[in-house]
Amino acid sequence: MIRAMRILASNPLSLVGLLLVLLITFAAIFAPWLAPFPTHNGAVIDFAFANKGPSARNWMGTDLVGRDIFSRILYAYQISLMLGIVVLAIATPVGTAIGLIAGYVGGWTGSILMRIVDVFLSIPPLVLAIAMMGVLEPTLTNAMLAVTVMWWPWYARLVYSIARSEREEGYVLAAEVIGAGTMHIAFREILPNCLPAIITKMTLDMGFVIIIASSLSFLGLGVQPPTADLGSMVAEGARYLPDSWWLTVFPGLAILVAVFGFNLLGDGLRDILGVDE
Amino acid sequence: MTSLLDIQNLKLNFKTVQGQVEVLHGIDININAGEKVALVGESGSGKSVTARIILGLLQELRQARISGEVYFDGRDINTMKPKDCAKLRGTAMSMIFQDPTSSLNPVITIGQQFTEVLRRRNNKLAQAICDEQATRMLNDVAIPDAQRVLNAYPFQLSGGMNQRVMIAMALANRPKLLLADEPGTALDVSVQAQTLTLMRELVNDYQTAVLLISHNLGVVREFADRVYVIYQGRIVEDGPTSALFANPKHAYTQALMNAVPRIVGTGLAKVPEVSDAFLAPRITHSDVT
Repeated sequence: MIRAMRILASNPLSLVGLLLVLLITFAAIFAPWLAPFPTHNGAVIDFAFANKGPSARNWMGTDLVGRDIFSRILYAYQISLMLGIVVLAIATPVGTAIGLIAGYVGGWTGSILMRIVDVFLSIPPLVLAIAMMGVLEPTLTNAMLAVTVMWWPWYARLVYSIARSEREEGYVLAAEVIGAGTMHIAFREILPNCLPAIITKMTLDMGFVIIIASSLSFLGLGVQPPTADLGSMVAEGARYLPDSWWLTVFPGLAILVAVFGFNLLGDGLRDILGVDE
Repeated sequence: MTSLLDIQNLKLNFKTVQGQVEVLHGIDININAGEKVALVGESGSGKSVTARIILGLLQELRQARISGEVYFDGRDINTMKPKDCAKLRGTAMSMIFQDPTSSLNPVITIGQQFTEVLRRRNNKLAQAICDEQATRMLNDVAIPDAQRVLNAYPFQLSGGMNQRVMIAMALANRPKLLLADEPGTALDVSVQAQTLTLMRELVNDYQTAVLLISHNLGVVREFADRVYVIYQGRIVEDGPTSALFANPKHAYTQALMNAVPRIVGTGLAKVPEVSDAFLAPRITHSDVT
């Protein structure tokens, strides 16, 4: 732990990443208290202040119906983070389990599992998500579902490749020799050796999931108005560029900060955990 | 006395792209309870596959064709269900490998790994009892500060320590048969000698039979009661260690013995620390032809 802190401290960029991630998390959790206009997350109309640029009252300006953009960004972070966490919380275990079993057991089982994974990987992720959202109703739950479906195969492949190489290690043979079962070896012996890579990938993926989720709602397929979401805020404002620049620039920057933070932190974790890609 | 392990006419074929390759051409080995037996041979002579067959691991491999009988404790391992065979491993028989450090999982503490081994036999064993037994076993293999070792990860210990931990784990469930596949070959010679001595004392105490697989004749001579010499998948000679070493009959055994480098001479003379001779060369080279 102390060693980890030291490496993190010696790498200023990953420290910046950690701070950004903490800042965003803090902002999201305490949005109702931090936001100057907590009600502006929902359907509020205040035409007196509609479409105003940044000012002392509205730091990041107001949108077309007069809602405070800063407040909406704080709330939008809640959705982005929750989406990222839920997606990874489902995709990671599923992908890891499939990758582990395919990698350790190998043979026919492994081949079949990995071919299924390949089928998923061969479809462009955003296209698959758009197709799914087209069939399903565009709601937050379905957005999570769509992103999860396209996310788990990456974990399956990552863990598969690690499990393949770990399978040849002496401790696996030693475990087989003491009569440990297949599941025990896969999940109790090999899995702990995969964790550093998985954790690093999860951190890096938080940023990507946020981008994908924003892309979906930019296309009108994710979170529906009036709920604040970074992607849909960018989409709404895009029509009024460059005059009402604050409508797009601040939500866009918000996405950038989140993704940047998670990526920097992920890189730092990779150094700490000694994962090489 | 009925034998603990009785291998009769064991043949092993591997199916490859080029066709069948026979690796073992019908070998017979038997080990009595508590007996220390060595299997000696060069690389590729079939030593390690024999061990894997005894453990029932090779039987699961589809390319392997095995015939003959491998009776362990009166039951034929070749015809046993894989599940029943897995029950024997780690309880009735266990194994020690060449490289102790890589045989231990690098991200799990020794203590946890020990617990897993002990729970193989009784899976409801309380953590406290596991720790206590592990401590006792570690003390048995001459590791005094057992608590520190139990909390350590394998990479924090030396190779010799890991080897002793491996021995302790292998013997923790009091197996009837211990397979030692070139134990400690990855370690340096003096550490290897120490651990072998330790292992011999322990198996004597526990009445565990050992099949020592080795190419190191020095080790075999020190350790085993009886020796089998395996050459190209056939047992070419067997007999009590002293007899076999005194009078090797088969040409291969003789060649094997002649291949061992011999230390000749009386070693180095001790020189008083304060004397003119102290800085003089210890060995004067002469033309010995």
